[in-house]
Amino acid sequence: MKLIKRTYFLTALWLLPVMIIGSIFCFEIIEYIAYEETDEFLTYEMDRLINYHQENKALPEFHKVADILPGVAYDAPLFRDTMLLEPGDNEMVPNRELRFTIIHNEEPFTIVLRHLLLGRDDVMEGTFLIILGLMLLVALFVVLILNQVTTKIWQPFYQTLGSLKAFKIGSDIPQFPSTEIDEFKTLNTTLEQLLKKMTDDFHHNKEFNENASHELQTHLAIIRANTEKLLNKASDEETSMIELQKIYTASNRLTQVQKSLLLLSKINNEEYSNPTDVDLEKLLDHYLGFYEEALQLRGITVKKNLQRCVVHMDQGLAEILINNLLKNAVKHNVQDGYLSIQLSTHALEIENSGLPFTGKTNKLFERFSKGENGNIGIGLAIVKQICELYQYAIRYELPQANSHKIILQFNPKRK
Amino acid sequence: MGLSIAVNLSKHQRKMKILIVEDNLKLLEAITEALEGESFVCETSKDFTTADEKVYLYKYDILIVDINLPDGTGLDLIKEVKKQHQDTGIIVISARNSLTNKLEGLELGADDYMTKPFDMAELVARVKALLRRRNYAGSNTLSFGGISLNTDTREVTVGREKVDLTKSEYAILLFFFSNPKRVLTRESIAEHIWGDNMDLADSFDFIYSHIKNIRKKITAAGAQDPLKVVYGVGYKLNIR
Repeated sequence: MKLIKRTYFLTALWLLPVMIIGSIFCFEIIEYIAYEETDEFLTYEMDRLINYHQENKALPEFHKVADILPGVAYDAPLFRDTMLLEPGDNEMVPNRELRFTIIHNEEPFTIVLRHLLLGRDDVMEGTFLIILGLMLLVALFVVLILNQVTTKIWQPFYQTLGSLKAFKIGSDIPQFPSTEIDEFKTLNTTLEQLLKKMTDDFHHNKEFNENASHELQTHLAIIRANTEKLLNKASDEETSMIELQKIYTASNRLTQVQKSLLLLSKINNEEYSNPTDVDLEKLLDHYLGFYEEALQLRGITVKKNLQRCVVHMDQGLAEILINNLLKNAVKHNVQDGYLSIQLSTHALEIENSGLPFTGKTNKLFERFSKGENGNIGIGLAIVKQICELYQYAIRYELPQANSHKIILQFNPKRK
Repeated sequence: MGLSIAVNLSKHQRKMKILIVEDNLKLLEAITEALEGESFVCETSKDFTTADEKVYLYKYDILIVDINLPDGTGLDLIKEVKKQHQDTGIIVISARNSLTNKLEGLELGADDYMTKPFDMAELVARVKALLRRRNYAGSNTLSFGGISLNTDTREVTVGREKVDLTKSEYAILLFFFSNPKRVLTRESIAEHIWGDNMDLADSFDFIYSHIKNIRKKITAAGAQDPLKVVYGVGYKLNIR
């Protein structure tokens, strides 16, 4: 929900009790004023009649008052509400009554004055209309004000948000808009510090990786070159040859591991971020061609069912992904086995025969997890890393004891 | 018979001159030794400044250059060489296995790119391939023990008979012919034909099958088995 929508919603919610309390308050005030005014009017009338009586020594005429009750006496004037039938509308209407006593010819006479009151329902209706009108006006202005205020006050916030969204790790830290508002100032400076720290860490990490790889590879090159030299010199002594071979193989293996680890960290650092539309069908065909010889030598039957499938990802990573999956399927295959590849527009399934996998399947994608036949290695860890980067779902299945299946589902919506 | 592989060099009066630029002295030494063993004339430089001077003063047939130098980048050196001597072959060796470096290097006019660490046999093969491509070697036929290998037509013949080799078998034989005096390890051969995918399971079995096939085809054509097993390590061209 957007900030402004939420604000509207909450404001409207808070206007509701305001409306109810306001209505009651308004109603009571009007009622109070109505009584006050009527009572005042009746009091004036009473005073006038008493004065008239004192001056003229005569009772008011009948038609000028509501009633004259002879022989009834009240100690003090009495106000009361009463309902009377209005003959015109034929309904009961509220009236205010004032009873007071004057002594005429030593006889008490109670004079009754009446005045029509505002009906409660009328007051209520009026109150409701007033409040409704007021609320509509308030709502209108709240919307206008909030709109104005939000766009103006929150402007720097939205700018910050925009530049943050556009920020890519490794690129320059965005310049956040300057603002007068303290909270936004704090937000911006905090973000700047955070991004700076992040970018620095990123660069340090990258630099470290590069330096480590540079140093390692240079020295590995020296080890290999010299072992090679010794191998050439010592070709007659068998025992030293075997030992040299061990050194040579180890340095070779180290080279492979080092390259793979470097690749993993590069993927992690999102150093491959040049997404284009990649045709996986073409790529699969290309890399299958690469393994043709190995497949032939081991008598592996290839079944493939490829549909055109275009994904949006880095070309280099797509190549690594496909190559590693195929390599895995060829590498862990058996003599005269099979390799089946299914590519649809949204998924890739690679199934191959092989030795039963004894480890835990969820460990399969971890670096250097071991199967029975030794090191499964780092290839699938790289595959998994790439899948994570692009949010592809990857699954490992064992359709039969002697076959392995890796299913990869692309998320076509992701750009 | 014997070492007729040396025809490339002996036919030409002039020995090929190579400048090696690498900041690590031990590696520089190893490379120099390997190339001098192939009768190339090697000059070395361990930084950008001296290399730049040498390039300015002398003409080299091949420049082998590391990208990361203490006082500059090999890429600048490539530019300089291209300015001075258009036809110098350039091989970039870099520890940074980065695609951008590779592309940049090749764009500037480098002919080949190798990532450290590499086998000397591989470097020698690439240097020789580059010399052949640049036509310095004159003849594009390598022959050894009665087996002729034409690098233009990619044909192998024994006498007048053509030997039909697969792509990988041809590549392996050429690798041996490029390193006649060297023991070629199974790893080295695997990396030569499969590159980074050399760690395929049983890749040594594949190498073995290829070697077996090469031997079979060549002996069937009437030549002697050109390959000798070096126990536990690999193979070597059979020099008798």
